[in-house]
Amino acid sequence: MIRNNRMKRYSIVSAVVAAGAMVLSTLPAQAADPGVTATEIKLGVSTPLTGSAGLAYGKVPGAMKAYFDFINANGGVNGRKIKLVVRDDKYLPTLAATQTTNLVLKDNVFALVGALGTATHSKAYTAASLASKNVPDLFVNTGFSGFGNTTKYPTTFTVLPSYAMEAKIMSKFITENFKGQAVALIAQDDEFGVDGVNGFAAGKLTLANKTLYPTSSITDARAKALLTGLSAIPGKPVLVLFGTTDVTALILKAAESLDLVGKFTWIAGSVGGDANTLLALGVKPATITGVLAASFFPDAKDSSDEYVSQFMKINEKYNKGVSFDNTVLQGMNSAMLTVQALRAAGKNLTRTGLIEAVQNKGSKFASAGLVPLNYSATSHIGYNGYWFGQLNAKGELKPFGGTLAIFTTDSAAGAIEASTYTRPALPKNGIPTNS
Amino acid sequence: MLNLTSNKKRLLLFILLGWVLLLVGDRVGELRQYQGSFVAMYSLAIASIILLTGYSGQLSLGHSALMAVGAYAGALSINNAHLHPVIALIIATLTAGVFGLILGVAVARLTGPYLAGTTLALAVSLPTLANQFPILGGEQGVVFDVGTPPVRFGEGFSQYKWFFWISSLAALIMIWMISNLLNSRYGRTFRAIRDNQISAALAGINTGRVKVIAFAVSSGVAGLAGGLLVMLISGVSPSAFPLSLSFSLLTGAVVTGVYNLKGVMLGGLVLVAIPEIADSLTTRIGGSEGFTATLPGFLVSALLILAVLFAPNGPGHLIKRKKR
Repeated sequence: MIRNNRMKRYSIVSAVVAAGAMVLSTLPAQAADPGVTATEIKLGVSTPLTGSAGLAYGKVPGAMKAYFDFINANGGVNGRKIKLVVRDDKYLPTLAATQTTNLVLKDNVFALVGALGTATHSKAYTAASLASKNVPDLFVNTGFSGFGNTTKYPTTFTVLPSYAMEAKIMSKFITENFKGQAVALIAQDDEFGVDGVNGFAAGKLTLANKTLYPTSSITDARAKALLTGLSAIPGKPVLVLFGTTDVTALILKAAESLDLVGKFTWIAGSVGGDANTLLALGVKPATITGVLAASFFPDAKDSSDEYVSQFMKINEKYNKGVSFDNTVLQGMNSAMLTVQALRAAGKNLTRTGLIEAVQNKGSKFASAGLVPLNYSATSHIGYNGYWFGQLNAKGELKPFGGTLAIFTTDSAAGAIEASTYTRPALPKNGIPTNS
Repeated sequence: MLNLTSNKKRLLLFILLGWVLLLVGDRVGELRQYQGSFVAMYSLAIASIILLTGYSGQLSLGHSALMAVGAYAGALSINNAHLHPVIALIIATLTAGVFGLILGVAVARLTGPYLAGTTLALAVSLPTLANQFPILGGEQGVVFDVGTPPVRFGEGFSQYKWFFWISSLAALIMIWMISNLLNSRYGRTFRAIRDNQISAALAGINTGRVKVIAFAVSSGVAGLAGGLLVMLISGVSPSAFPLSLSFSLLTGAVVTGVYNLKGVMLGGLVLVAIPEIADSLTTRIGGSEGFTATLPGFLVSALLILAVLFAPNGPGHLIKRKKR
């Protein structure tokens, strides 16, 4: 018994000592923000490079890197070169969570830029403790309106107009141009798709049919079954596809094989509506002709636009072998916004400083977008509008009805207004000089 | 001090290990704390495999599915029922255990490749079930937020240290309990069934019931490991439990000796180290995206094959053989 008591005493003493050691030991305070040295700024992105989403969106990090290389070759940002660390998350939420954590803990990036995907990034944001670590999360590649909630995502800045905004403007467009036709929706069953559904409700559009499919569950057979069911709707229903490009392509190809292309008026949501990717995934040009799509950029094939032509030149030189399309345009545009944000944050670069720079000066950044950026001390929301166009066989998006009509709105119940915005001119040679 | 029974020795060993982990966790940076949590979680999962395969002789290729059951149970109790995280982990263990009990009853007659095939089918199909029931959140999954560390630990106490503490404590307690179980009558009964089922039956052991008990306990432990895994990635979704996870766990168990619980921590370290090694290999060698994506899986498989060829009983036996 005495021995047991001694053992007990030893264990208690050691536990107390351990607790004391733990309480007394303090972690060293963070001196400077990680990822910034005198010569380099390290940025990170978790995005799909492989898998079905990788086929559609894999060009984005390369495009961003090309623009950063261009800037690095022209003096960098306040003497520092930008290095982009890319990690593949295959559009899987759990992988995005670990990759984003790796970016922050292992790669020690200064900020994240262009994180892609709604389900992926919402998981990754919490898992990597981005809020408590104050890691700036710039220009996320997703339109989920929830990312504009600064209580939940204090360091996140959206850039794409939200899916709710898109659905609202789409509702107005459909009601005005396709009176009397039934409207059917096929959307991804996660926050992205549901955001769209809410937007359609806010836009007061009644849906004759609504199909929400679990991500990655659409197969050719399922698409055919869906379309066969929808073809029973009389007249020429409007069919809205609110999914990723690989799924949009699958559905269009299924329609081709069922000879149902002419049955519907097709509207491709922004996420899945890039014509060049659809063509690359095997959709016939004849099917693409006439598909309606919304955009807030000039069309990537419109070389008369100064931003497009400058980005095309950068793509030629720094992103050899990659064809220039809307995905590349979007990537380079985000990179240009990032460079302006880094410049605005000043030579003494801190994470807090970067966040404040976007808040205070972001609305004036030069960008290719045809709608305004809405950053302010109270808003982390980027673009907020769309124009509607029709695709032709070459994959170009031309304004519907001939004239460009841009509308802006919010993600809630606000009105849809015609926009009178003119965007800032392109900085000379595409190199920002803001401060 | 000399009068210690092996049970008390074991308890002491675990307390000592816990103390060492506490001190180590303090010294290392957040990245190592994060990786350490994964090591603890994998060690626990490997322990469940050792119990089932090494001790009771039942081969399961479906432990990722059992982890998924525990994970979803834990996530739903936090997210929907708003229970305390500790209770959520206990629910995870119990739910997976009950599931394993039912499953065990169904497959108790199966042996060898037939059992393996059934569990394989389970591993492939179970995660997709999440897409059928909206409450399970589909591909997006359910959030599992274990919350921030208690304020009394101070400002410097990081989220990752908190994960490390929770995982290590859960793993330590559970592995200690398994260790006690395996050194008791049940452990001997398991081994009797593994070595010769007919002799065991002749000796009066109710083989069916013991196999089911082994399955249930192993599933419960796997469920706890699943709950810990989703705590670390802050959410559960089908993509967290691919088939490759089952194979990784099996590899971890075989590499460190499937017949003995002593090597579990090493197994956990191996499983965490492989993606890291693959990562640094690809950055050094470079290579296409396809290469990067498949390299960890390839390393796991290669390791399993090498282990089975050269050290089927674990490295311990290999060293003993060399000494002779």
